[in-house]
Amino acid sequence: MSVFSLTITSPDGELFNSDVEKISVRGSEGDLAVMAGHIPFMTSVKPCDFHIDLEDGTIKRGHTTGGVLTVSSESVIFLTSLVDWE
Amino acid sequence: MSADTKKLKTRIKSVDSTLHLTKAMGLVASSKIRRASLNMYKSREYAKSLEKITQTLTACPECSKSPYMQVRDTDRLRLIVIAGDRGLAGGYNVNVFRLAAELEAQRIYPIGKKACERYGSDEIILAEKFGVKDSVELSKKLCEDFYNGEYDKLGIICTKYVSIMTQEAQLKLILPLEKSDAKSTGILFEPDETTMLNNVILEYVSGMIIAAVRESFASEIAARRCAMDSAEKNASQMIEDLQLEYNRARQGAITQEITEIVAGSGD
Repeated sequence: MSVFSLTITSPDGELFNSDVEKISVRGSEGDLAVMAGHIPFMTSVKPCDFHIDLEDGTIKRGHTTGGVLTVSSESVIFLTSLVDWE
Repeated sequence: MSADTKKLKTRIKSVDSTLHLTKAMGLVASSKIRRASLNMYKSREYAKSLEKITQTLTACPECSKSPYMQVRDTDRLRLIVIAGDRGLAGGYNVNVFRLAAELEAQRIYPIGKKACERYGSDEIILAEKFGVKDSVELSKKLCEDFYNGEYDKLGIICTKYVSIMTQEAQLKLILPLEKSDAKSTGILFEPDETTMLNNVILEYVSGMIIAAVRESFASEIAARRCAMDSAEKNASQMIEDLQLEYNRARQGAITQEITEIVAGSGD
């Protein structure tokens, strides 16, 4: 599966930066997943449990207090105040 | 030993103990400065990214309807005043309080022990320990009150970290948001620009607060280090001068004693 660059940034610095296959979060309109080649868009993220499908097939899970997800043609940036990794 | 030399000796001892104190405080500040500036750069990056997103949103004509962009006729200002946790940092705290005194605020939210003491806050919030959770909590309350029209402007008085030698007290106006002239990027907003802006505002205010607190804390440490450096130099110079004076007084006393003995033996 093709991958894209995902960066998760918080006031404590960069929490995650790697190539991933998919990220699933709860957007303002409901659950959504972003995969490679997604159109550029921006949404606010509600407090939720989210998961990231990594390149090697493993799934990384975490909890966010909410934030902003920005999808551009080059990368995906998720800005959040706090993340608790599982 | 005459009373004069005794007095000088006591003064030298007292200045010496001050020198030890300033040296210790300078060393503590030096060890903290790296971590404080690293934290500052991290939160600054985060705040910059949020600012960019907010600018993209405020440039959209639809967003002008958002309650967070409304400029009201009244001028009720709420201020977040960020000062230091301790003194002995040169003009750091004074500059912040001077700037705050120039403005007429409806309510002040102090952060930092010195600010809490000055504005009579029941709870002491340390700037060093102020975390993301505290910032989110404060941001929630402030955004809610602004939405309900309880105040009209939100400002942060903090200190800008220019360099290790220079720090400037400044006022940052956070709310209401100003319309930016950022170019449209053709990006899709879900569900729409106004809802997005209303949702992002909490993150934006929280990000601005935490970035300002961390920048102010780095400024405090840098200001203290500079102040302690110059205090150390002054104390060393003072000890040198006093030692010279002491030696002269001591030599004077010896010379006088010899003269007296010689004069006595001559009889």
